[in-house]
Amino acid sequence: MLEVRGVDARYGDAQALWGVDLEVAPAETVCIVGPNGAGKTTLVQTIAGLHRAAAGTITVDGVDIAALPGHRVCDHGVATVPEGRRVFGHMTVRDNLLLGAYRPKARAAHRETEAQVYDLFPRLKERARQHAGSLSGGEQQMLALGRALMALPRLLLLDEPSLGLAPVIVDEVFDAIAAVTATGVGVLLVEQDVERALSAASRGYLLIEGRIAAAGPTADLRDRADVRERVLGM
Amino acid sequence: MTAVQAALSGALIGGLYALMAAGLSVTWGALRVINLAHFGLILVGAYLTYQLTTAWGIDPVLTLLVSAPVLFVAGAALQWAYDRLNIVEFNSLLVSFGLLMITIELTTQVWTADFRHIDAGENPYGTSAVHLGSIALPISRLVALGFAVLLIGGGHLVLERTFAGRGLRAFAQDRTVAASFGIDHRRLGMVVGGLAGVSAAVAGMVFALGNTIAPAHAYEWFGTVFAVVILGGIGNLLGSLFAGLGVGAFSAVVAVLWDPSYEPFVLFLAIILALVLRPKGLFTRRAAA
Ligand SMILES: Nc1ncnc2c1ncn2[C@@H]1O[C@H](COP(=O)(O)OP(=O)(O)OP(=O)(O)O)[C@@H](O)[C@H]1O
Ligand SMILES: [Mg+2]
Repeated sequence: MLEVRGVDARYGDAQALWGVDLEVAPAETVCIVGPNGAGKTTLVQTIAGLHRAAAGTITVDGVDIAALPGHRVCDHGVATVPEGRRVFGHMTVRDNLLLGAYRPKARAAHRETEAQVYDLFPRLKERARQHAGSLSGGEQQMLALGRALMALPRLLLLDEPSLGLAPVIVDEVFDAIAAVTATGVGVLLVEQDVERALSAASRGYLLIEGRIAAAGPTADLRDRADVRERVLGM
Repeated sequence: MTAVQAALSGALIGGLYALMAAGLSVTWGALRVINLAHFGLILVGAYLTYQLTTAWGIDPVLTLLVSAPVLFVAGAALQWAYDRLNIVEFNSLLVSFGLLMITIELTTQVWTADFRHIDAGENPYGTSAVHLGSIALPISRLVALGFAVLLIGGGHLVLERTFAGRGLRAFAQDRTVAASFGIDHRRLGMVVGGLAGVSAAVAGMVFALGNTIAPAHAYEWFGTVFAVVILGGIGNLLGSLFAGLGVGAFSAVVAVLWDPSYEPFVLFLAIILALVLRPKGLFTRRAAA
């Protein structure tokens, strides 16, 4: 469903991505691992339309979205859980979720989707009327994920969902990601915790200095010397 | 006049301040534009009400049928231009001050610098009052308060309960994430700018009901209205209503108990104190974020 071909991205004169190719199929979890500053967040933002690709194509179900303004990309079934969660702290949990269903299609289904999100994360239901800023980090991560699900995505982009969370909470978040993938959504997962990323995903890409340095099934990646050296630190 | 009387009638003037502040507050809070030209729109609104009432002999409130759409377009066009030219925060202060001076100059060309007022014959709200015991409450101010409650209350409900309102609040906090959920900042900005224009039309109409109009008034509104916006919390609609009433009542009480000439001094001293104690405005909920 997602096909990225030859994508470059730059910040002014500095190039951050160089000819990136990758794809994600429905119901598949694909991970991107790589050292700090490799360009993982840039890649996620470029796919989401929040950063303009300098070259290349990004197609979702055959439609090229690379040139669309950021607010139009979600209409093609792409939703993002951004790095650092970025929930709307001054709004209630419920308002954060409903904001996720802003576009007409998602809006029409918002009651059912909201109930599904509460089934997935009962904690959010308990806190529905609380301000999102008063939630714990783990709860905010669940909210960021729930907000993205409210948009009824076919492709979910997750940027470092485990960042700063206790291991038990991370388990919960990853269980939820697995449940989402099982419903047929394609998931592109950027993750610091490489072990976890490799076990959650079926395929993966190693991104180094803006270039795809390795790609393949996660079982193979785990054994590759460059992955072990560059991101597993072994 | 007793202090109670003064507080009551002062609070009623506050309805007008709140109407003037609401539009300024929302565009500042949500779009990061400090739009001083808003005072120009209010002035034009007041003149439109004056002109249409005088020319056609219609009820001043009905002039909104013309002035509200006109100022909606003007407000939307302003936001469009600010957005296109990427004018925010401090720059917007300078640019919109220039626009305000131009507007004042233009209104002076059209209506001269003389004081204008709607003839008593055409203004059913001008001179009558409701008597509450010994307290006389001018109808024009009750109308101002009524519109303030209606407009600000309605705006608050839209912000809290609708998808568009949530979109605007989200946009005010994090534009990038809001965009990723489909919020089109250009369109939203124009709608908000337009609605601010409508609030300016209402404020101008209400002003014309109970006051004489002159171009220089736009400068006189500055201080008090800014105080109301900041005390209410930038972008907080209900806050601007309460702050408007509070500032109106407080100024009137000071004028009665001490001396009218102390009013600005005491008012701004009180505002500075209030902001030292509650830097985000008196009416901002203490949300952790
Ligand atoms: N807004 C920006 N302006 C200029 N350069 C930027 C900007 N954001 C990122 N960069 C640069 O682009 C490169 C890729 O950054 P990016 O944030 O995409 O990396 P990352 O892989 O997500 O890193 P991390 O693991 O720290 O999240 C880095 O060299 C970074 O310094
Ligand atoms: Mg990153």
